[in-house]
Amino acid sequence: MSEEYIIEMRHITKRFPGIVANDDVSIQIRKGEIYALLGENGAGKSTLMSMLFGMYEPDEGEIYVKGKKVHITSPNYATKLNIGMVHQHFKLVSNYTIAENIIMGMEPVKKVLGLFPTVDIKKANEDIRKLSEEYGLEVDPTQVIEKVNVSIRQRVEILKMLYREAEILIFDEPTAVLTPQEIEFLLQIIRNLRDSGKTIILITHKLEEIKQVADRCAILNRGKIVDVLNVAETSTKTMANLMVGREVSFTVDKPPARFGETVLDVQNMTVRNQDNFDVVKNVSFQVHRGEIFAIAGVSGNGQIELADAIAGLMEVASGRVMLNGEDITHMPIRRRTEKGISYIPEDRQEFGLELDFTLRDNLALKSYYKEPFSGRGGVLRPDEFEKYGQKLIEEYDIRSGQGTMTQVRSMSGGNQQKAIVGREIELQSDLMIFVQPTRGLDIGAIENIHKQIIAERNKGKAILLISLELDEIMNCADTIGVIYNGAIDKIAPAETLTMNQVGEFMMGVKSK
Amino acid sequence: MSRIIIDGLSFALPLFIMAIGGIYSERSGVTNLAIEGLQGFGAFVGALFVVLTSGTQGTDSQVIFYFAFLFAMIGGMVYSLLHALLCVKFKANQVISGVVINILAMALTAFLTKQVNKSVFNQPSDKFQLGVSSRFTVPVLSDIPVVGAVFTNVYPFEVIIIVVAVIAWFVLYRSRYGLHLRACGDNPHAVDAAGRNVGKIRTVAIMVSGALSGIGGMCFAYSISAQFSESIYVGYGYLAIAAMIFGNWKILPTLGACLLFGFARSAGYQIVQVLEKPSSYSDLVMTLPYILTLLLLIFFSKYNRAPKALGEIYDKGKR
Repeated sequence: MSEEYIIEMRHITKRFPGIVANDDVSIQIRKGEIYALLGENGAGKSTLMSMLFGMYEPDEGEIYVKGKKVHITSPNYATKLNIGMVHQHFKLVSNYTIAENIIMGMEPVKKVLGLFPTVDIKKANEDIRKLSEEYGLEVDPTQVIEKVNVSIRQRVEILKMLYREAEILIFDEPTAVLTPQEIEFLLQIIRNLRDSGKTIILITHKLEEIKQVADRCAILNRGKIVDVLNVAETSTKTMANLMVGREVSFTVDKPPARFGETVLDVQNMTVRNQDNFDVVKNVSFQVHRGEIFAIAGVSGNGQIELADAIAGLMEVASGRVMLNGEDITHMPIRRRTEKGISYIPEDRQEFGLELDFTLRDNLALKSYYKEPFSGRGGVLRPDEFEKYGQKLIEEYDIRSGQGTMTQVRSMSGGNQQKAIVGREIELQSDLMIFVQPTRGLDIGAIENIHKQIIAERNKGKAILLISLELDEIMNCADTIGVIYNGAIDKIAPAETLTMNQVGEFMMGVKSK
Repeated sequence: MSRIIIDGLSFALPLFIMAIGGIYSERSGVTNLAIEGLQGFGAFVGALFVVLTSGTQGTDSQVIFYFAFLFAMIGGMVYSLLHALLCVKFKANQVISGVVINILAMALTAFLTKQVNKSVFNQPSDKFQLGVSSRFTVPVLSDIPVVGAVFTNVYPFEVIIIVVAVIAWFVLYRSRYGLHLRACGDNPHAVDAAGRNVGKIRTVAIMVSGALSGIGGMCFAYSISAQFSESIYVGYGYLAIAAMIFGNWKILPTLGACLLFGFARSAGYQIVQVLEKPSSYSDLVMTLPYILTLLLLIFFSKYNRAPKALGEIYDKGKR
């Protein structure tokens, strides 16, 4: 047993019903390095780290921490071993202050009247202010969690680990929820943490991040380690190919656009949210056949509400929405679907899927009431569901534990997304609305979805693409509209804009 | 006027202590509709202690009076374990569990009351006679105009309630346990990640709820009812839940809601008496707190913010 490695996982195998998540995986991590785990969705990165953090126990294999063999049976025990983890879904109490969240479970105590033990919140605030300054994670400990943004919440999660004196910090897809500036900041923090002697494990599928911060990188594919590389000596291209297991192209082939007649015509649309606040302000634009109209914008500028209003999930306060020349402003959602709208919503778990249903039921969710799924008298035909499910699983490469009968909840995020995309494209609607279609997906899957979007456009569909990823917009769009503060001030052909210009409009720096 | 205050307080405070119990349970994330049953069962155990130690004719002994409250607390607490077992251990639906516990309490205590009366006292009776608790008046303070009524004809249990309420407030908002408890009601996963046992925290919270409900039930048995019988189940437990909701699951605003209910009720009685209406009108007055509840529901519902994880079954694996 060499002392050189702070963590060693040897021959780890973990099986879940119908799937081998980790297959004889061995990794060795040195003290004070940034070690990245790269892999597609469902490649087994999170599972591997969950075992290190005590959320699961491996079926086979051994874990050594600081040279000692350990059985990590609970996150509590992992914490005792100075292992900390920032999960993809934050575990924070929304109505507590930052300080209260961090100290929970390890509160400083003082006695009132020398008798009654109370939580010493003053000391906590001070401790946390000091701690956050020490690592350059500026937070105000007295702020309440629900009032601060995602990036601050993430800092709170990091501080939670540091407060518990973690030396080995695991980050599970930490940048998935952040804007480009916030990502920069986080990567800097990760570097600082390494420089102060911490060991970092970074789970990600974003190659640039690895290139920027990681020292070494293990690549997983379908539960197996493919290779362990020194990042400095490896190109992103090589990493991408290893991760996907085949050649990947970063740019998409796109024949020149041929616009047809107008499909979607939004006229002076205004949308209000629950608080009666205008979130979409007097927006007008058209999307034609054979056009990808992309809406760029920083998260929270009204783009989600815009899409929801066109799809019928939100009420239009004023203005009109026309589809193929017909007014659909106040049409019920199913009729809109039948008139020709496909919708891939941003929140796939809330609006896109019925998580406790099987995969095949979810795939037929928008057409179950029609032939051939439903016979006369409304009796459902399970064999038709099955046939259709099989077909889509194959066409869209949806991976799951038990095929058509898999409960969707148990599928990985990427495969859930593939299921929605498949279902919506199969509707063959004239208008397809894609909101963040590749959020949380790895490059292999992103490439696929982009190809599918462009194929649909080439078939003469009108595509409305809403994305927070500028790369995606620049890659796919024929026309770009930039939304800022609920208004679309800039609409221009994609080739006339550079990425920087779009970025400036997104920040509201430029107008018109 | 002073009657309104005196009667209002003696009704509002037992309501308040039950509502605090509800706050404990619900802020920990467990829906508690069982307060009605818990207060009834608590009162039953307290009353049982009284009749077993001093016979069926009631007593003036102060020692027995205080022990009655202790036993009511224990009774409520033990009975609440049923709710904890169902909701925490077996992850049952919390609404159903609460309702079932209420119905069960009513049937069970009625049955046991009759059995005890028959076998111990040889009397076919469905109630335990307790009498009304003695009251006291604080000298000097009670002479202050209007406010003096607060210190006049006070039931000893009102003092108990205020002491317990202060402790309950302190524990909920200032202690480590309180911090963990309130976190359980918002995001139990965070508590788990902090290395605390969500199930344990919730079980204790439900037990506190049972104990405090027991106090409330015993108060009613010693004042309004003057006995333990099925008449203890007239819906005060539900009223406490309503007060808790109007109070937005916070202790001080809940006190306000309870006082409102209490004074509405006592004022109604006074009006009936002043107008010299027949006694059937006092039945109408009994409905006042409930009508008030309906009205308040209309206006306050939109400002309400229930604990986020309320009623959610905590499952470690689920994300």
